Amino acid sequence: MLFWRNILFIGINKNKNSINWNIYYIRKVEIIELLTGRIYIVDILPLEKSDYKSLTKSRYFFNWKEELEFELYKLTIKGHQDILGLISFEKYPEEWRIHVRLLTVSIENKGLNKMYDKIAGNLIAFVSKIAVKEYGELACISLRPKSTLAEYYIHKYNMRLTGATLSLEVPEIISLINKYDGNEQGK
Amino acid sequence: MNKESKIILEGDFGIDSRYKSKIDKDQDSISLLESRLARLKNMNAAQIIDAKLIQLKLQMEEFMTVQNNELHQKFVLFLKSYIDIFYVKQNDFAEDINIQPNLLSKILNHHREPNDEFIQKVMVHSEKAFKNINNYSSTIWYYLYYHERIHNSISKQNEWRPEIEKQVKLTIIG
Repeated sequence: MLFWRNILFIGINKNKNSINWNIYYIRKVEIIELLTGRIYIVDILPLEKSDYKSLTKSRYFFNWKEELEFELYKLTIKGHQDILGLISFEKYPEEWRIHVRLLTVSIENKGLNKMYDKIAGNLIAFVSKIAVKEYGELACISLRPKSTLAEYYIHKYNMRLTGATLSLEVPEIISLINKYDGNEQGK
Repeated sequence: MNKESKIILEGDFGIDSRYKSKIDKDQDSISLLESRLARLKNMNAAQIIDAKLIQLKLQMEEFMTVQNNELHQKFVLFLKSYIDIFYVKQNDFAEDINIQPNLLSKILNHHREPNDEFIQKVMVHSEKAFKNINNYSSTIWYYLYYHERIHNSISKQNEWRPEIEKQVKLTIIG
């Protein structure tokens, strides 16, 4: 079972002196359609220039063009173009930290009547993975929500409050990665 | 709408977490570093090992997904990182997977290629080590090894092809 959750497809386009690799290591990143309970595999990929036209403030709440100079990723259902969530962040390698700048889900996924669950969580887990991949046991992600929302992030993602900033470090960052990489309970 | 529902409604769609000024950012850096350093002192060995294992897993997965021209000796580098997480002496790892220390040394120093049995032992050892980590497939060790070998063989055609072409012919029968 585990093997099929991690299928590796290798394609080699061979010329005499060069090769192109098309290698896809499929990880199990999922969102849930709340109405049906159906699970969808998603991709989290860098935003492309062609995506900017569709990123209206009315659907994605912020002016995402302001984030061009930062790392910016989109979440889509695998094989679909429609963007369901976005995250931008900045790395501070000297502090072994990644600071989340903007995070959002599309308007139909906001609030109590949202279509899909786990969009924001998967985006936060994605940034957490980058932090652990680069900084190991020193990894940290941080964000500064409005004070009224801090409680929500502390409760939902087990974040820690320092001053006005929330952060996620080892061991909680590992638990979050495990949770979104596997079953809901984590390990 | 009660207060809790309102927080879920607002909190769920996202945040604008951008620093308003450099002073904000600098203050954040100082206070966060102070509190993190205090927590680091209390981190236990198991937590550090889990973090290092996930780091290694993510690095290996990235290696398999990114187009990469610097494939040389990556299998051995990942293997060394893996051994270093658990062992001070490489000989102790050799003992745990029931191989001669001399064989492990030759593999780690690129004097000998790992055979199937060696990779299988690394796989089974890693399954025990990664038991707390979700979504880990030990088969990645096989994929890593052959990914590197295939790439090296194909990319070095200029080196091996002239001699091989001299030796190979197609004889039409009849």
